[in-house]
Amino acid sequence: MLNVDRYAYAVGRIKVMETRLLDRDRIERMVEAKSAEEALKVLSESEYSDYLAELADVHEYEKILSAELLRIYRELRLLSPEEKIIAFFARKYDYHNLKVLFKAAHLKEQRPELLLPGLGNIPLEELVRAVSENDFRNLPLRMQEAAQKLVAKFAEDGFDPQLVDLWLDQALYAELADDVRKRKNKYLRDYFTSLVDLTNIKTFLRVRRLQRSKNFLAAVLLPGGSLDLLTMLDLSDPLEVILDRLASTPYAQVVAEGVQLFQQTDTLTRYEKLADNFLLERVRQAKYVTLGPEPVIGYLLAKENEIKIIRIVLTGKINRLPVEEIRERLRDVYV
Amino acid sequence: MFGLESGIVLAVIGAALAVLLAGIGSAIGVGTVGQAAAGVVSEDPDKFGSTLILQALPGTQGIYGLLVGFLILLRIGFIGGSPVALTVEQGWSFFFAALPIAIGGLISAIYQGKTAVSGVYLVAKRAEESGKAIIFAVMVETYAVLALLMSIMMLFGVRV
Repeated sequence: MLNVDRYAYAVGRIKVMETRLLDRDRIERMVEAKSAEEALKVLSESEYSDYLAELADVHEYEKILSAELLRIYRELRLLSPEEKIIAFFARKYDYHNLKVLFKAAHLKEQRPELLLPGLGNIPLEELVRAVSENDFRNLPLRMQEAAQKLVAKFAEDGFDPQLVDLWLDQALYAELADDVRKRKNKYLRDYFTSLVDLTNIKTFLRVRRLQRSKNFLAAVLLPGGSLDLLTMLDLSDPLEVILDRLASTPYAQVVAEGVQLFQQTDTLTRYEKLADNFLLERVRQAKYVTLGPEPVIGYLLAKENEIKIIRIVLTGKINRLPVEEIRERLRDVYV
Repeated sequence: MFGLESGIVLAVIGAALAVLLAGIGSAIGVGTVGQAAAGVVSEDPDKFGSTLILQALPGTQGIYGLLVGFLILLRIGFIGGSPVALTVEQGWSFFFAALPIAIGGLISAIYQGKTAVSGVYLVAKRAEESGKAIIFAVMVETYAVLALLMSIMMLFGVRV
């Protein structure tokens, strides 16, 4: 108890903050709003209200979302007794920034609006310097290795933006998997392995659809999952066999339902939604923990999920999608 | 090792343990609930009243321990100035009379603290349910009271 009771204060704050998350009713009101402007107004009674005044146009809604994400990361870093827990989830933004910078440097087109300053663990200036000077010594080991490998490869074969995504994602997940192994927290491990497994199953379905080789598949599958898809499944297997092989995994239902629509419409949106809901169900287990890092992680992921939901609704509204179609894409909420 | 005077030493050790262990339990319990309550109040200052009650609950074990320690000292004449000459047998009897509240108090205070922490989180979500949160935590009190009862019965049963 003494070991985890330092989380008592943090969890106390989190429990109050959770009451301010958008609930199903509020999201339903956004979905049923007549216009994007009206949907945005629903947010005026929420944590997002402060940003609304500064917003000139609905099309700039991304500004609200990134401001809120930044606020949450800053607050949780201060609140959490172990900052590393938050740093674990912030790492993806470092890799995101590095990808953007690599592409900007080699494609000679600057897209500063894609960068996410302040969210990650590494200052943006350091990443900018590293890429412009080709000096990656100050970066974490996995990132450093991947970046150096990329630079060497580009010098030989020319620039390939796909390779940037591919190798940096591999490095990111390898780094996260190292961390999960070190932390020995069952909650974090369950979440992370499910995330990797579900992403890998999606990748497998895509690669199979594109009829690429097994070598290509081996290169794109992420490390850190619990399923060895390469030996479990074969790219030439018919879908029924694939479903059958995955039937004994926890993801059986997600795959079975998600794949149905994939066959008819060739999109994985349904699968992605089901996978997100599956993960959220895992995340929700944090509600049963009173003392420990779990509720803090749960809140962080709930907030990221909420931001994703708002993005889905607002893009749907701006593009005048029918209400039913937006609802179909919506994820569950944490509360 | 145990001469005729050691009876009184055993009784005093018992009194010390009752206060010490039950007090440690209460300090852990009240401390943890206090942290959780501070977290809640920092986000929502209106919750101070109901979380304060929850914080106080694991504090009773420390008081019970003090009571038992005090009663032992009273019976062996430490309070009042004329210590009674105790046999080793009587000394051990006082020592064991202190154990129910010492150990029962220590453990029940820690668990009551945990229950009260959950209660604080419940109040954070639903202020109107603070009564239920208090009841959950009070249930644990039963076992501290039973331990106290047993300690008192035992220490008054010793003939001096």
